[in-house]
Amino acid sequence: MSDIDRAIEQLRACRPIPEHEVRELCHKARELLVEEGNVVTVNAPVMICGDIHGQFHDLMELFRVGGDVPDTNYLFMGDFVDRGFYSLETFLLLLCLKVRYPDRMTLIRGNHESRQITTVYGFYDECLRKYGSANVWRYCCDVFDYLALGAIVLGASNTLPSAPNRDDVEVEVHSSDGRIISRFLGPSESQGRINGGAGSLGDPAGAILCVHGGLSPLIDKVDKIRLIDRKQEVPHEGAMCDLLWSDPDEIDGWGLSPRGAGFLFGADIVKQFNRKNNLSLIARAHQLVMEGFKEMFDASIVTVWSAPNYCYRCGNVAAMLELQEDAGGLGVLARSNGDVNRSDGGLAGGSASWGQSDVSLPTKKKGPGRIYHVFQAAPQDSRGMPAKKPVADYFL
Amino acid sequence: MDPPPPTAFPNSTSTTTATTTATTLPRLAVLNPSNTHPFQTPSKCIHTAADLPRFLSSLAYRDIGLFLLQLNRALCPRKQSQSQPQSQQQQPAPPSAAGPLRLPPRDPPARRFPLDAPRSDPASVVRLRELLAKLEALIDEAPPERGPRRFGNPAFRKWHALLQERAEGLLREHLPAETLEVWGEQGVLQEVTSYFVGAFGSKERLDYGTGHELSFLAFLGGLWKLGAFGDGGDGQGEVERSLVLGVFEPYLQVVRRLILTYTLEPAGSHGVWGLDDHSFLPYIFGSAQLTRPISDAEPMPLEGSVRGAPQPADILKPAIVDRLRAENMYFSAIGFINDVKTGPFWEHSPVLFDISGVRDGWGKINKGMIKMFNAEVLSKFPVVQHFPFGSLFSWDPDPEAQPLAGSGLAAPSATTAGGGPGTAAPWAQATKMPGAAAGVPPGPGIPYTKVPWTNTPRGGGSGTGGAGTRPPGAPAVPAPRGGVPDTGPPPPTAFPRGTPGTASNQFAVTKAPWAKE
Repeated sequence: MSDIDRAIEQLRACRPIPEHEVRELCHKARELLVEEGNVVTVNAPVMICGDIHGQFHDLMELFRVGGDVPDTNYLFMGDFVDRGFYSLETFLLLLCLKVRYPDRMTLIRGNHESRQITTVYGFYDECLRKYGSANVWRYCCDVFDYLALGAIVLGASNTLPSAPNRDDVEVEVHSSDGRIISRFLGPSESQGRINGGAGSLGDPAGAILCVHGGLSPLIDKVDKIRLIDRKQEVPHEGAMCDLLWSDPDEIDGWGLSPRGAGFLFGADIVKQFNRKNNLSLIARAHQLVMEGFKEMFDASIVTVWSAPNYCYRCGNVAAMLELQEDAGGLGVLARSNGDVNRSDGGLAGGSASWGQSDVSLPTKKKGPGRIYHVFQAAPQDSRGMPAKKPVADYFL
Repeated sequence: MDPPPPTAFPNSTSTTTATTTATTLPRLAVLNPSNTHPFQTPSKCIHTAADLPRFLSSLAYRDIGLFLLQLNRALCPRKQSQSQPQSQQQQPAPPSAAGPLRLPPRDPPARRFPLDAPRSDPASVVRLRELLAKLEALIDEAPPERGPRRFGNPAFRKWHALLQERAEGLLREHLPAETLEVWGEQGVLQEVTSYFVGAFGSKERLDYGTGHELSFLAFLGGLWKLGAFGDGGDGQGEVERSLVLGVFEPYLQVVRRLILTYTLEPAGSHGVWGLDDHSFLPYIFGSAQLTRPISDAEPMPLEGSVRGAPQPADILKPAIVDRLRAENMYFSAIGFINDVKTGPFWEHSPVLFDISGVRDGWGKINKGMIKMFNAEVLSKFPVVQHFPFGSLFSWDPDPEAQPLAGSGLAAPSATTAGGGPGTAAPWAQATKMPGAAAGVPPGPGIPYTKVPWTNTPRGGGSGTGGAGTRPPGAPAVPAPRGGVPDTGPPPPTAFPRGTPGTASNQFAVTKAPWAKE
């Protein structure tokens, strides 16, 4: 058994690996990540996940529901650390899996993968407590600087296997035991659907952009993301900051973010961006949604949230988005890779109605088939026993 | 970065043997009545982290500390001599002398101060409690909005607007008439309203944290200085107990109801690594309630529990917590955590879990809590930056403040003038920053235990100060390339075409630590 496999086994048991192994792991991970572009290209099938926030046992539940690595491909959209008890075990396990199965695991950076944020929201405290020094925190932060900023998913199927002959079924919601809870024609109505109408108002056959937060007023083309020098601490402003911090909102255009970083952006911005970049959908994380996912703006953007019962008190369920492979070769793979600067690809019939949310497009013009796997917090008995109580410093 | 909190204070470790009398134990002085007192509208003075050392040697810091310690000590159980009236005891009567077995003679049970024991609160305290009830009733006028939303309920903004709108009128009605008369109503209200309004969370961020709690402490402390509670008390802590048990706990109950009703989020959060999502002071007062008894002349003990006290580890037993939450503030706070959180306690509240393993009793816990409060609340820029200063809590330097060891900065004097040994603030000897091991970057909060709100912009002040706030000290962490820009908060202004929307209404939404309010 190789060192990495042994480390994976240990971390799966929720036991941290020794400091020197962390150092080695982080070194390897950096060598791997430095070769990736700012925007990683990922082929369907893939399971797209949102924030985890150190909820290790819930991550195990996610793997149970979604399938284990390497049998299932995963794309995690950042915020692995902070807030929860097991940020360390969570991040190190994901990193081990990345190093062991680089083509099956994609990790992109969230706003919490940053030195300044982790000193505020818990990961720094956790490392200090679990190792007695900040070394491991420092190794991890050095890896954060190399994480990609986004991903483009290609080759997603437009149809769903449960309804192979019905290309009008666009969304399915599955329970954690695999049952289909609900099906939707066109954009999901289960969550936050703004208006009627079918199909996402981008390139219905286009690629899917995954990013932690959202869009930036400084980025109108995916190619511009590729030009960023990403290997640094997340800046307080600018394109890189916005991609990790922004939120979609019910506004026109751009707005100030109450978070103090990034922007708010409205439906018009998303639709414009998707059209310009031949995207069918933007998948992002960054915001708690009680039902685990929330499609907005005529399914042109979706929020995916993967931390159930967030902070032990929110009572929310979690979700991940499965995009299946287009077996027929008619899916997005043949049409766009998101890099190509086509001005009007896939827009036929729809260009007159941009900006109107109530337009009914022909049902053929729809986004990728989307399966949302919804799951709950791991049962308590899966969580092991408390560590012995170290004496807190102030109480010595 | 934050300056180190005040450290060692000389001659402060022998408190257990001190023989000073109660009158020289630290106490917040009541001002001489004067209708020409120069009241001010309190305003913010802590604009950058660099202002913190000045705060830590200010009169305001001294007075906050004095008042807190005074309240804390009042809650500590008291030794009783045989001559003291038994009617005041909260303990069950000793076994009947007529019984066949006579217990060996031992000290009479200590007098304890549980929440649910009958008290005779002075009218000033009763009136404040009625005031709190009126605030709670405002919830009915601002019912939480139904329907889809993320987390924080925007109806809290309406509740808070009602608070702001009515605060002066309510205070005029509920503060002692003599106090308003002697000092001049306008001046008093001008000053204390700030602290009062600042004590109930942030309407912008829909959150609540220790800065708001501190504001309520200052509200009571300001009234204390004005002699508003002169109508009760024996000089032996009776009014102080009424204030904590009869006003502060009811205040916490109102706050908890606000948190539940409007799902207010923690103001800033170290996640599970903070003491508590919202509160700090109930852990100080509650541990004091269980500390080993003292005479009226003794200072606060630094270890030991009163006979019959629950074990610290009992916080892990929900049945015991449910039984004790009605009488003890620590257990009341734990009970609230149990109400709102699911999952293993040691996982969602590891700091409290660790403290439950302390072996030297509630006195030790009390001492640690005060140290921690000083380091993690009073010494943290993000928490205290909103605190407004006026005539009652003054930004002026404390002439007694002592040089801070090793830094050339001034440390506060924790004693009243003339206080002997044993009157030092417990925190004066005890705030060395643990965890500041070699190689640890001097970030905003080095110790591993931190309250969750130490580094996010957060409230506590009333927002009356017009001066802008700066981002909390950006940690001086090594950044390989690019680095953390430590100047210039980034809130963008280039594209303000929309209005902030629902994104602020979330639970535990991450805010940029460098953001302006």
